[in-house]
Amino acid sequence: MTITAVVSRRGNVAAAPAVRTRRILVTLGLVLLALMFAYVMLGPVIFSPDLVVKALFDRAEAVHHRISVWEVRLPRVLIAALAGSMLSSSGALLQSVLRNPLAAPATVGVTQGAVLGAVLALVVTFGSEGALNDLNALVPLAAIAGGLLAGALVYVLSYRRAGADPIRLILTGVVVAAAVSSVTSFMVLISGSHIDSIVLWLVGSLSTRTWDHLVFLVPVAVLVLPLVVMAIPLANALQLGDSTSVSLGLRSEAARAFILMTAVVLAAGSVSVVGGIAFLGLIGPHLARSLVGSDLRRLLICSALVGAVILVGADLLARVFSLDWIPFVDVRTESGSRVPVGAFTALVGAPFFIYLMRERTR
Amino acid sequence: MTRKEPVIRKPAFLTDGISTGYGGHVVSQSLSLSVESGSRTSLVGPNGSGKSTTLKTLARLMAPLAGTVYLNGQDINRLPTRQVARQMAILPQVHEVPAELTVLELVEQGRFPHVGALRMLRRQDDEAIEEAIRMTRLEDFTHRPIDTLSGGERQRAWMALALAQRTEILLLDEPTTFLDVGHQLDLLQLVSGLNRDQGVTIVMVLHDLNHAARFSDRMIAMSGGEIVADGVPGEVLTPGLLRDCFGVEASVVTDPNTGSPMCIPYSPILSGNDGRE
Repeated sequence: MTITAVVSRRGNVAAAPAVRTRRILVTLGLVLLALMFAYVMLGPVIFSPDLVVKALFDRAEAVHHRISVWEVRLPRVLIAALAGSMLSSSGALLQSVLRNPLAAPATVGVTQGAVLGAVLALVVTFGSEGALNDLNALVPLAAIAGGLLAGALVYVLSYRRAGADPIRLILTGVVVAAAVSSVTSFMVLISGSHIDSIVLWLVGSLSTRTWDHLVFLVPVAVLVLPLVVMAIPLANALQLGDSTSVSLGLRSEAARAFILMTAVVLAAGSVSVVGGIAFLGLIGPHLARSLVGSDLRRLLICSALVGAVILVGADLLARVFSLDWIPFVDVRTESGSRVPVGAFTALVGAPFFIYLMRERTR
Repeated sequence: MTRKEPVIRKPAFLTDGISTGYGGHVVSQSLSLSVESGSRTSLVGPNGSGKSTTLKTLARLMAPLAGTVYLNGQDINRLPTRQVARQMAILPQVHEVPAELTVLELVEQGRFPHVGALRMLRRQDDEAIEEAIRMTRLEDFTHRPIDTLSGGERQRAWMALALAQRTEILLLDEPTTFLDVGHQLDLLQLVSGLNRDQGVTIVMVLHDLNHAARFSDRMIAMSGGEIVADGVPGEVLTPGLLRDCFGVEASVVTDPNTGSPMCIPYSPILSGNDGRE
């Protein structure tokens, strides 16, 4: 075998996965756009595609079309896409840096911390009249603070001598998650008649999300983006183990702290607007890894897309099930809210996750 | 034999009576050691003798409890870690393999110390990567996930990562532990070739004394955290050392194929003096 044969064969092989990856990412992007479009079409009143396009470009024939599209469906689907991608990316970073397939925002306590923050804010503001407008600002802020605090607490509790090792981090995370959840349960018990809106936060919901929420979420995403970009090469080295990453010239503990912080901000930001969506932060990165592998340059983009597709898709399902055409089943909760999207991610997510694990270990 | 010429070279490593250990546990005290640049050194000794701890301290994976490790004359723990990584690569004993990471994606990381974090966002196609893959004969495995490889191929992939770092010093911590005898020889020959052809300084911890004797210029035997013998393999690998250090009766003969000393242990000396771990 000549050297040129070896080189050209390598060249061919090298080209193939890159093309494949690009194809996967483009496909996911198109699926996301299609789902988002379908999402805007669908609702109590179903719009035709051309009607949606007209409304989007401000040429709607009826005012209520424009309001439905611009004020209700569009912000909601944008929030779903952004929050889903942030939660899933957070899980991808956590799984890499903790070298644990079970790592996710919800297994290290960040989700629970953010939910507790939101619930506390809800309980405090319920006393005051006309609180609903203030909620738009206060609840997400409290949630993001709760998520960051929980993340910091897990890190500090795991720290021994020179650092916080991955196993200790995840064990501490599970314990903190459980403890924080029990505080939340207590809050739910004493919340009395407001239990409905609290439950929506626990499960995760996109109903009544508006531009106000998006205006809160977008700056968080924009601020965290440079951190994510910086975290990618660090996480790529760190996922090879502490010894190897030191050998490569990484200050491993500093890198770990930085990546964890990035993941925590992503997750807390996401939860602060949509609540404690189940499974997405765990499943998104697993699904993405089975598509493009473990190199974070590809995995993170893919996780973000998969997360957006799942959350938009799940809320689409939730909306379909909330329509009134299903006989005998009144799926509205007492206060009239729709089926929360978090119920669907958990319902579809659990069996899918088991399927994925069985495929992987076959 | 040609290595006997009295060439004066600066030491790649120098330690000034360091203490090593972790937590509150001291493994070695006042350990002074100098490793000549361009040499092959093996650290040998029974379990718990402190050889691995010594290597990790040289590698800056552990900081000395007291004293200083000098890398090419500079305090290794004060140098920027990326600068150290451009001079020294490490093949650790245990690897964490992320699921689905391919050989090429792993080997690419070897360029990290040279290009820095941000430029690692781009695909690395440095010639060093290609050479590392060629030297470890992994051309056919570049896009295979590492966790689907055999033990021997996997160790070669990690070796390729260290090679892609293109350093003048290579530290290996029991590189042959999980390999069959064919892959053991293969790896040690690759390491020796690096030393011979490129003058790479090699420091390795080896369990197999005969491999150490054959593939190094210098053997350092440790026991109970102390250096008990240090010299060319012929001086170190003696029945006396095997008795005192490893607790075995052994005969030492000359390997008919390679001419290096070779030990044949035949019975353990049972005493209450082991288990220092």
